[in-house]
Amino acid sequence: MTRPLIEVRGLRKAFDGTEVLRDVSFTVDEGSVTAVLGPSGSGKSTLLRSLNVLEQPDAGVVRIADASIDFGSFDDLGKAEQKRELAALRARSGMVFQSHHLFPHMTVLQNLTEGPVRVQGRPAGEAEADAHRLLEQVGLADRGSAYPSQLSGGQQQRVGIARALALNPQVVLLDEPTSALDPELVGEVLGVVRDLATRGWTLVIVTHEVRFARDVADQVLFLDGGVIAEQGGPDVLRDPQHERTRQFLSRVLEAR
Amino acid sequence: MHKLRFVLLLLAMAVVAPLALLVGAGPASAADGSGEDRVVRVGTEGTYPPFTFEDPDTGDLTGYDVDVVKAVAQEAGWRLEFATSPFDAIFGSLDSGRIDVVANQITINPEREARYRFSEPYTYSRGVIVTAADDDSITTLADLKGKTTAQSETSNWSQVAKDAGAKVENVEQFSQAATLLAQGRVDAIVNDNIAVLDYLETSGSDEVKIAGYAGDDVGEQALTFRKDAPQLQREADQALETLRADGTLARLSEKYFGTDVSSEASTEIDLQGDRSATTWEVLRSTAGPMLWGAVKGTIPLTVISFVIGLALALVVALGRLSSSRLANVPARVFVSIIRGTPLLAQLFIVYFGLGQIGLKLDPYVAATVAFSLNVAGYAAEIIRGAILSVPRGQFEAATSIGMDRRLTMRRVVLPQAARIAVPPLGNTLLSLIKDTSLAAVVLVPELFRAAVSAASTSFEYLPLYLLAAFYYWVICFLVSLAQEPLERRLGRYVS
Ligand SMILES: Nc1ncnc2c1ncn2[C@@H]1O[C@H](COP(=O)(O)OP(=O)(O)OP(=O)(O)O)[C@@H](O)[C@H]1O
Ligand SMILES: [Mg+2]
Repeated sequence: MTRPLIEVRGLRKAFDGTEVLRDVSFTVDEGSVTAVLGPSGSGKSTLLRSLNVLEQPDAGVVRIADASIDFGSFDDLGKAEQKRELAALRARSGMVFQSHHLFPHMTVLQNLTEGPVRVQGRPAGEAEADAHRLLEQVGLADRGSAYPSQLSGGQQQRVGIARALALNPQVVLLDEPTSALDPELVGEVLGVVRDLATRGWTLVIVTHEVRFARDVADQVLFLDGGVIAEQGGPDVLRDPQHERTRQFLSRVLEAR
Repeated sequence: MHKLRFVLLLLAMAVVAPLALLVGAGPASAADGSGEDRVVRVGTEGTYPPFTFEDPDTGDLTGYDVDVVKAVAQEAGWRLEFATSPFDAIFGSLDSGRIDVVANQITINPEREARYRFSEPYTYSRGVIVTAADDDSITTLADLKGKTTAQSETSNWSQVAKDAGAKVENVEQFSQAATLLAQGRVDAIVNDNIAVLDYLETSGSDEVKIAGYAGDDVGEQALTFRKDAPQLQREADQALETLRADGTLARLSEKYFGTDVSSEASTEIDLQGDRSATTWEVLRSTAGPMLWGAVKGTIPLTVISFVIGLALALVVALGRLSSSRLANVPARVFVSIIRGTPLLAQLFIVYFGLGQIGLKLDPYVAATVAFSLNVAGYAAEIIRGAILSVPRGQFEAATSIGMDRRLTMRRVVLPQAARIAVPPLGNTLLSLIKDTSLAAVVLVPELFRAAVSAASTSFEYLPLYLLAAFYYWVICFLVSLAQEPLERRLGRYVS
């Protein structure tokens, strides 16, 4: 039995006194796909952002591969050490945002090479070769010199995914990558995500696409009111144990 | 101008007085103190028309120098007391403190400069050769060789004529010499242009004319102060500048000499005998100096101030955006002061105000400092707004790919902010170009100053100021031409 790639223990986060995450713990195996579902405001984004430390949890431990931070004692560390630990943990994950957040003033190719060249200090030529390969992988081989504004929403999100992959992270975090898209564009993005899964990437994806989660996910976390209300394999979505989960699923499936 | 001075005084007091109190360095002696209605004692001969003499009808002291010092006093807020004394005793009175200033056509020379302090000159004189009106054979000193001139014996012009190889007839007064010349008994007279102009004005004679220059030296006459009275001198300079700009000096000079001897340009005597140049000639001869003023003054002043201002603005904007009160509060106060006070007041505080407490800046430097700070105040808010307009998601995306704050700013935020900031910063630049004309007030040699000084001697206000305005418009137009491609380039990623 190998050690899980990601380990989250006792994670807590409050905004202005309101607890948004309350003692969240779970693990993610290497090469698996974890789908996070739950009603709006249940803390899904906060959880995902905590893994990338875009949000700093109040307490708990996050470990990804060999990098881990215990947020309970994080504030006691010196500034330099904090910076170092943050950088190390962040480098283990790539983030895909709901509304892509591509850098509008850079071409698609520059969006992909910016992190590898400026942050990781890799040679530009090498980073560009990798970027071209990634663009091909997400089906945008010919759009490297375009600006994001010249792409469709689906293409933009695929570039967003490629940008996250360019840093070669251990895990890719996706926060509702399709919910800002027109329905006819959802398919192409989910197709790319599905492709990542088959290529063996470890994924944690917040989504409302129940069918997609059922097909692709190895693990499902159902979040409600800042706690994991239900957790299990994809079968959980076919036959939820808890009343809240059932209600939520029927509402979501009806809306489709 | 008086209102302005009042406001300036208030501001200077508000800003400088606490400082002066702090360093315990208030204005020094009574003679060199500041404030309204100080008594300033003027030494003058009173027997040297048309410069300083007693009006035969009223017995009042009058003359060009007397009128000039009176006008200066009015500008500077001095109350004058005149003390007449023979020329030989005047400098002794100044040394011993019985008088504070000499107004007596004192020529600036190196020996006097070593001992005394001079104001800006209010008379410029130059040696000239006078001939009969119909004589065109003599125009230079070289032409005097073998000719006869009429000179007053003690004058150093007599020596100049002899050195040039002329025979000299001695006379008592210029009018005598002029009579000999008109009668054809001598060929020429060598004297300074002011004496000649005075004669031409009072006699109305058209039998003699100024035919050429006697050498290249220009004599400068100025108010004379003791070395320990820099404040009086500074006030006099300021006043003279105002009097020059508003045409008072030229008017006084016209009154006594029929022409303006108060500016260096007036030594350029129109040798054709037609004293007033046409509007067209004035414009033609000023267009060059104005262009030169733009190239040497306006443009570098603008460019340097803008670059320094932008750099400062970025620092101030980041200070404003910082969560640390230590950075935030000073930045906010700075912006508020700069945007809440007139640029002219800022310029005067830097130039005159700081000068008063010992930090005497060169006019060019003072103007650069004032303009840079001003640009910083306005541009900081523009840059701050532009940075705030960059969506939060951009910061997060940068953070998620591992960028630190510096890199995020440099690579992600500022390039996007630049696109937002360029149009309003373009306006700031255009304002700055025009605002540099204020530097003329502190005597920076720039475009507008060239127009002001030309106007003060030629009185061609409308054409000269229109020409100056036109120059500014051209510069601004060229800048706005450059702005468009820049905006296009910075915004090329926006579909
Ligand atoms: N920066 C913040 N400051 C204050 N409150 C926040 C902040 N971020 C999130 N919250 C609050 O925390 C709760 C959980 O937010 P979160 O975005 O994690 O929910 P979510 O499950 O992703 O919801 P959705 O499905 O709508 O995206 C919400 O009530 C939200 O208002
Ligand atoms: Mg969310």
